[in-house]
Amino acid sequence: MDFVVAQILTGLSLSSILLLVALGLAIIYGVTGVINLAHGEFVMLGAYCAWLLQSQFGWSLLASLAVIFLLIAALGWLIELAVIRHLYDRPLDTILATWGLGVMTQQIVRLTAGGELRYVQMPPSLSGSVNILGATDSAYRLFVLAVALGLFLLTWCIYRYTSFGLKLRAITQNRAIASSFGINSARAYRLTFAYGAGIAGLAGALISPLKSVSPEMGTTYVVDAFMVVVLGGVQSLVGTLASSAVLGEASGLLAYYSNDTIAKALVLIAIVIIIRFRPQGLFAPRVRA
Amino acid sequence: MSGKISRQILLYGIVCLAILAVPLLVDNAFLLNKYARYLIFGMLAIALSLSWGYAGILNLGQAMTFGLGSYCMAMFLKLKTVPIHTGSDGLPDFMVWNNVTELPWIWVPFQSMPFALLAGMLVPALFAALLGWFMFGGRVAGVYAAIITLAAMVVVNLIIIDQQSYTGGFNGITDLAQFDILGLAFDAYSASTYYLVAVCLTVTLFVALVVSRSKTGLILQAVRDQEERVRFFGYDVALYKTFIFALSAAIAGLAGMLYTIVMEFASPTFLGVPLSLSIVIWVAVGGRQSLLGAMLGAMLVTGVQGALSETEAFLETWTLVMGGLFVLIVLFMPKGLAGAVEALLRRIPGGERKGDARPAARQGSKSQPHLGGAL
Repeated sequence: MDFVVAQILTGLSLSSILLLVALGLAIIYGVTGVINLAHGEFVMLGAYCAWLLQSQFGWSLLASLAVIFLLIAALGWLIELAVIRHLYDRPLDTILATWGLGVMTQQIVRLTAGGELRYVQMPPSLSGSVNILGATDSAYRLFVLAVALGLFLLTWCIYRYTSFGLKLRAITQNRAIASSFGINSARAYRLTFAYGAGIAGLAGALISPLKSVSPEMGTTYVVDAFMVVVLGGVQSLVGTLASSAVLGEASGLLAYYSNDTIAKALVLIAIVIIIRFRPQGLFAPRVRA
Repeated sequence: MSGKISRQILLYGIVCLAILAVPLLVDNAFLLNKYARYLIFGMLAIALSLSWGYAGILNLGQAMTFGLGSYCMAMFLKLKTVPIHTGSDGLPDFMVWNNVTELPWIWVPFQSMPFALLAGMLVPALFAALLGWFMFGGRVAGVYAAIITLAAMVVVNLIIIDQQSYTGGFNGITDLAQFDILGLAFDAYSASTYYLVAVCLTVTLFVALVVSRSKTGLILQAVRDQEERVRFFGYDVALYKTFIFALSAAIAGLAGMLYTIVMEFASPTFLGVPLSLSIVIWVAVGGRQSLLGAMLGAMLVTGVQGALSETEAFLETWTLVMGGLFVLIVLFMPKGLAGAVEALLRRIPGGERKGDARPAARQGSKSQPHLGGAL
């Protein structure tokens, strides 16, 4: 029993990280149709901000979260303004441009902060462990899980119950018609991109005490996040939640049982097959085009 | 039109002759080896230009086919290595270290040179054909196709690294014999290898040119611009796309084989994401819709990179500059340098192609005619 609970908790922890990282990507992709390959770099920048604020200014991680969100969101806003908005008609080129931006960001970080690994301290109030049904889990991991779920709920409520969310949904269904009804879709896209970027930065900051921080860390996350989004379905936030739970638990199990490399290859093959046969994702509802 | 075609052939021919003439001016084996590498990158760029520029298939995994070709050649050369480098019973050294007792079946046919040379092009082409049939048969296109090619490459790369006893794993296949055919030996650091690469490049360029000018090439360009309409005309779109995808893979496989000869090893990094990204950048810089432009773009970018790589600090900054340049080109010059040169040339003679100044229906590279250009 303890073992099962522990295994589930491990999976949940992986799921919460996946959800945090994928949420921003899912919002951006779902609303604007842009596959943001620089998403991992937003995560990485968030982690570096946490490191910088902690090591240079002595801020605790929890205190810096809001600042990090705003910083990375502002960066996302700028990037949308400078680059992305010119490319909405050319989806393939957005992949390339965001890829290029990612390379640049990595290189800037490497040149300014150095290529070596950095570490971020856990907030002292959360460094203990908690006993759940006989299994122990670190309090910080549970905190990350709670934040991930909280952010998800917040995003879902914005999407569902605010007038901004209503506009977003209208744009998602048909940008031209939404615009003709007076919705400022350019502004909505920009805000969406900034919000998604901000969440990615937050994800990076929250992950930073659990993993080491390096300029390359974003690359793995963008692949994972993309898998979550593809599996969950492009226009379904609930799908993102479900698929990060599934993928988190599955990779927890796979890592326990087998060879990491082969497990990763198998997951990728599964993704390829899903794209081929259900490009709208496993959990997507039927949406009228 | 025919005048333009012959002018294009002339231009392509002059460039190829210039490339072939390089060893007459350069007498430095090290430099020739370096230049041969740039030529191989040019071949890769031609391969991607065929599938991306002409058929609209953005292959983010072009390095997969390159690496497969490279491994085919490396397996052949490894088996030719003088026994002193290999283990007992002529087994490659890394197999002995991994406790493999007899030659794995997948290696056996690589003892024959004709097989290995064919496999270097056919294995990648077959891989691509299967993948193409899988994707295009299901009408997967655009962004999704790009992601699938990327994922496929990562899978192959992971498998090669994982199957250490058959592939040399992370270290790749090293300590190779020299390639020789019909009594001609190709030392990696010699003019003969440079000529081998240059001749292959010339042949590739002209084959690609012929294909792009053929009816098939025209249909593929139509598919790129309006896939649905071509399908309604009754063409088997998936078949055409699979064909060009496989042809591009075969070219990349050939480039991979040559790369093994020039570098004297094969490594999993040849199938890596960074190389794939580089290929896309070269082609974007040179001009995706121009075979010659893409090829020269690859040589230009890698050439500058090679010149800067003498100093570590420069190389670091170069990556940054390259990323920025790439973003700018994607944004403002979707046709790359070739497009810019073409626009410039068009302005000089004055009025020759005024008919083309039609308003672009959409902002983007899609609807503009480009068939007449010399590049």
